[in-house]
Amino acid sequence: MEQTSESPQKTFTCQLCGLCSPFTYYGQKPPNTRAIVLLEECFVTKDPFSPDKEKFLVLGSTCSLCSKCVCVGSDCSLFYTKRFCMSCVNKHLDQFPRQIQAELAKKKQSSKAAVS
Amino acid sequence: MDSDRRRDSRSWDWDSPQCRARLDEIFFREQDYIQAGSPEHKEFWAFFDRFQRFKTKRDMAGPGASRGEDSGRTGSGKVDLGLPKDYDARYRINVSVCSRDIEERLGKSEHRSRQRSSGPGSQEVSDCRLALLHFLDFSQRQSFGKLAKLRREQKNLPIFQYRDRLVELVRRHPVVVVAGDTGCGKSTQVPQYLLSAGFTQVACTQPRRIACISLAKRVSFESLNQYGSKVGYQIRFETTRTTATKLLFLTEGLLLRQIQQDRTLAQYQVVIVDEVHERHLHCDFLLGVLRSLLADRPDLRLILMSATINIKLFSNYFSSAPVLQVPGRLFPIQVIYQPIPPEEQPSRSEKMDPRPYLRILQGIDQRYPPEERGDLLLFLSGVAEISTIQEACQIYATHTRRWIVLPLHSTLSLVQQDKVFDIAPPGVRKCIISTNIAETSVTIDGVRFVVDSGKVKEMSFDPKAKMQRLQEFWISRASSEQRKGRAGRTGPGVCYRLYAESDYDAFAPYPVPEIHRVALDSLILQMKSMSLGDPLSFVFIDPPPTASIQTAVTYLKDQGALDNRSELTSIGSLLAQLPVDVVIGKMLVLGSLFNLVEPVLTVAAALSVQSPFLRSSQHNPDCATARQPLHSNQGDPFTLLNTFNAWVEVKGERGGGSRKWCRRRGLEEQRLYEMVNLRRQFKDLLKSHSLLESEDSAPSGGDRGQRRERLTERRKLHQLKRDHEQQEGSKRKVLRLEEGQDGEFSSGSDTEETGRKKKDKEGSGQNMDIQEVKFKLRHNVSRLQEAVSISQDLSSRQQALLKLLLCRGLYPQLALPDEHNTTRKDSEQVFHTKNKQGVVIHPTSVFASDPEVLHVPEDDTGEMGPDRKDSSRHQLLAFVTLLETNRPYLSNCVRVPALQALLLVANSVDTNADCTRLVVDGWLELELREPEEALKVLSTALSLRAEWERLLLAQLGQSSAQGVSRKVMEKLSEGLVRFLLYTEVTYSLRRLAAFQTQNLYVGPQPDSELSRTEAPDLSLLFPGAEAKPDPIKGGLRVTSFFTYNCLADSKDLYSECLRTFWTCPNCGLYMPLTPLERMHHEASCRPAGEQQPDEEPESVKSSSSSASSLTRVYHCDVCNEDLNLTSTEILKHKRQHMYTAK
Repeated sequence: MEQTSESPQKTFTCQLCGLCSPFTYYGQKPPNTRAIVLLEECFVTKDPFSPDKEKFLVLGSTCSLCSKCVCVGSDCSLFYTKRFCMSCVNKHLDQFPRQIQAELAKKKQSSKAAVS
Repeated sequence: MDSDRRRDSRSWDWDSPQCRARLDEIFFREQDYIQAGSPEHKEFWAFFDRFQRFKTKRDMAGPGASRGEDSGRTGSGKVDLGLPKDYDARYRINVSVCSRDIEERLGKSEHRSRQRSSGPGSQEVSDCRLALLHFLDFSQRQSFGKLAKLRREQKNLPIFQYRDRLVELVRRHPVVVVAGDTGCGKSTQVPQYLLSAGFTQVACTQPRRIACISLAKRVSFESLNQYGSKVGYQIRFETTRTTATKLLFLTEGLLLRQIQQDRTLAQYQVVIVDEVHERHLHCDFLLGVLRSLLADRPDLRLILMSATINIKLFSNYFSSAPVLQVPGRLFPIQVIYQPIPPEEQPSRSEKMDPRPYLRILQGIDQRYPPEERGDLLLFLSGVAEISTIQEACQIYATHTRRWIVLPLHSTLSLVQQDKVFDIAPPGVRKCIISTNIAETSVTIDGVRFVVDSGKVKEMSFDPKAKMQRLQEFWISRASSEQRKGRAGRTGPGVCYRLYAESDYDAFAPYPVPEIHRVALDSLILQMKSMSLGDPLSFVFIDPPPTASIQTAVTYLKDQGALDNRSELTSIGSLLAQLPVDVVIGKMLVLGSLFNLVEPVLTVAAALSVQSPFLRSSQHNPDCATARQPLHSNQGDPFTLLNTFNAWVEVKGERGGGSRKWCRRRGLEEQRLYEMVNLRRQFKDLLKSHSLLESEDSAPSGGDRGQRRERLTERRKLHQLKRDHEQQEGSKRKVLRLEEGQDGEFSSGSDTEETGRKKKDKEGSGQNMDIQEVKFKLRHNVSRLQEAVSISQDLSSRQQALLKLLLCRGLYPQLALPDEHNTTRKDSEQVFHTKNKQGVVIHPTSVFASDPEVLHVPEDDTGEMGPDRKDSSRHQLLAFVTLLETNRPYLSNCVRVPALQALLLVANSVDTNADCTRLVVDGWLELELREPEEALKVLSTALSLRAEWERLLLAQLGQSSAQGVSRKVMEKLSEGLVRFLLYTEVTYSLRRLAAFQTQNLYVGPQPDSELSRTEAPDLSLLFPGAEAKPDPIKGGLRVTSFFTYNCLADSKDLYSECLRTFWTCPNCGLYMPLTPLERMHHEASCRPAGEQQPDEEPESVKSSSSSASSLTRVYHCDVCNEDLNLTSTEILKHKRQHMYTAK
């Protein structure tokens, strides 16, 4: 990390929530991850909350439909064999399995309850 | 398939460690992302268990409840997303794990698993892989959740809106003022904004060390650099700074020291000065220094951060620097004025009336249901007030069981202080009774109610009495608002003010800045060493009173740190670099000359930190008994020395057991750790100024095996430290309801018990004390023990010398015991200093419990009159502080023999003609019975002093490059010791009354022909000093500190030329001499054995050019010849002519 921070930082920004964070790798095979492969091209950084230098953290990726850059937060995107941003999920909600639909409906309700 | 699985399961047991180890060989190998044995690996298996349980539960609920229901609905929309028909949680994970090992086992599974029925079959491998995928997904979510939360919090801070404007302002202006109230986030965010805008080498100062550490921790976490060193801190003994550090939190004092080394502060691009509104001495000074530095560093960016208090002052000071004002984030706070009724007003003599405070507690209990959380913070002025109110509140709390009462002030042990952060059990509120420490220094969350007494005790300096004074004042409106604000940090709150609104309106707007209240000695010294010119013309933001600066300059001159032209002396420039009081710095320098470095280092360190003796344990008989062996009736510095030595001993023997040892004696171990660190720093400073030889530091010595052992140990210690740092602050304990009841007042052994029990309960296995770990990392215990053993059993001679050094360091802080003390009670013992009469000894001092050692022994006295007590045993107290609280108290005292100490350290010694009457520093009068003895004592003292001064200058490298040889030094210390211990002269000692000081001196004598012609050439006696009539006192000024025959005496003025026959014990010279001639002879005449002129080759060489060599060129007017003679020879020579003339 110490060396990479010397070079100008590349920043990942979520186009939905605006979350910003520097990333160190973009792709499916972050360095030093051995047998692990990502199933999508991701913006990856070193996990800042782990003392282990080798641990990575996926920040986000691009929506498979609209190509928007979105973070992996559950308010912004969803992964179901592919990455979908929330607006695309909502547009095509009917194509998603029941479980996911129910889950999203539940979340919507609880967030509404929290607001009121 | 299901039956298959069941059959396999019979031979496969997920709970068996062996089976798990088999899978570890596949998934968690050395080269894998997660390795067996790592913390993640442990977490995985814990996760695995939960995951399996979850799966079984779901399977039982009915498998595939929704399976296939979605099929056939694809045609509804526009785009086909191509999603799988059957839902599987696996599809929601964007990670996959594949290695050849795994694939192989999965691929040829059928055969394999049957062949080796004990090994993991394909089912097990695939189960494990699925669990691993879920685990990876879970940890990703966890970490990302943390990140998202962090960003959310940052965004919600009021200052976030101003981010771009701030960066813009800083880019465009050299100085920017950021004004924002509590909670706006300026301290944590501004440095980060600058970093991400591309600034590097940012320094951010804090008034408090604790804030440096906690901010560095927080900011490195927020900037996702928790495990790197991009963000660091630097305080007195600790730093996390590396070459990679881009943002450094440091104390104001430390930045000033850095400027001392690095005038233009080239190491920084941006300097942020935080909390400027607090107006600490260092901060005000720092602003002044930075202001003058800006001219040389146009590229330097300076940011002042302040609460929204008096912003204009700061902006104007930096030629109308732009101000960025940020609203704070406080919840609404209701203010209730409840002035204390007259009958409950505290009177001067009585204790405070707790009723107004109890009414508020009651009121809260009546008005707010206990399930509505929120603690109470009560501001009082001082410790005595706190314990009065605490006592009363505790009775109420015990009765209602709805409160836990906790005191908070800086003299509490750290464990006690820490309790205020713990959580009260449900239905119970904390009642924290605090000094103004909780106003800014300590922030406690969860406070809903604030009670403000409106009072504060503040230190002020009385230059007339040279005394610090702790007085109670009304607070300022700014402080009042600050206190109120403490109620609204986490939710709406209430603030009860125990004064009227009209009182509030009458308060001063701001507190008095420190620079107007304290002694400026150290400040002026530092200014001198930074060559900032005349302190009187330095542009302070708020200049201190001229008198205050002048007092400091005079004091520094008295101390020898400045010369007569107010320039730094060599001692002075050294003192300026020591981060301690001038007096303590002086001790260190003096100690380095003699073989007393080790004890002096310890004493200097001990006197620079808060006392390790806890006040609360003072009345505990067990503690008192345990402490007894540490006490020394020589004085408090010796008690501290004994304590430190004993502690190091315990450290060496029992390591972590020292904590228990300290608790039993009522000692705050933290202070001892501070002492050992400070001691080390002092030692390094002395070494770097070549005042101390550096020990041969063959890297930790020993053979290779030992070195390796030490290395392994260090590695282990570092690991322990890291582990601790990670755990730190993660947990807050829940308080017990009984907490306040025993707490502070419980006996030492009791707390020890409960302490241990508590620790066992925690059972975290963290048996190692983190302080102990840091201690071991920083110090080599065995080397420390060696150093300490030197000072352990001081001989009485070393002790005498050490006392003299302390006394010379502390001078002119001397106190005289009142002559009637023998007839007074122990608690009524009275002392006088030059500027303040009637001071008493602080109850914590050894002399408070043992005042007899200061009395003049009865049998030794000979009454010479009603007011005169003759003895050879008069003593004085040298003291570190004189502080007036309810009475003026002396603390940290050491006793010294009066006559000897005064003659060796005083700045002004005046005598009458036969030297039987001495007045020291214009306030102490000593009358010696025998003129013969008086002369002897005086001349011994004068020559010892001359030699001491010469060696000191040589040591400081002023007279020449050569140091001081051990032999010469030993001779001097021998002489000093002999003088201190074996001077048996009977004298009286008293302080002069005011009327006596008025007509003390004869004054200038117009017809002093007599003394001029008759007196011998006194420059021989004191090289460099020309004896000439003193223009003010009269008489002859022999040295800078000694004026002969200037006292207006009852005896006639002619005794100075009265000659009496005298035999010199050294050379056998027998002739009539005047007192001065005799002293003169004695000073130059050495005992037969010592007389060879080349006896001190170094000193002769080192000062061959100066007048201090034994021989010099003497021009005799009678012979009209230049003669090379020693001073004795000159005297003899002159005498010859005198007789022949007669």
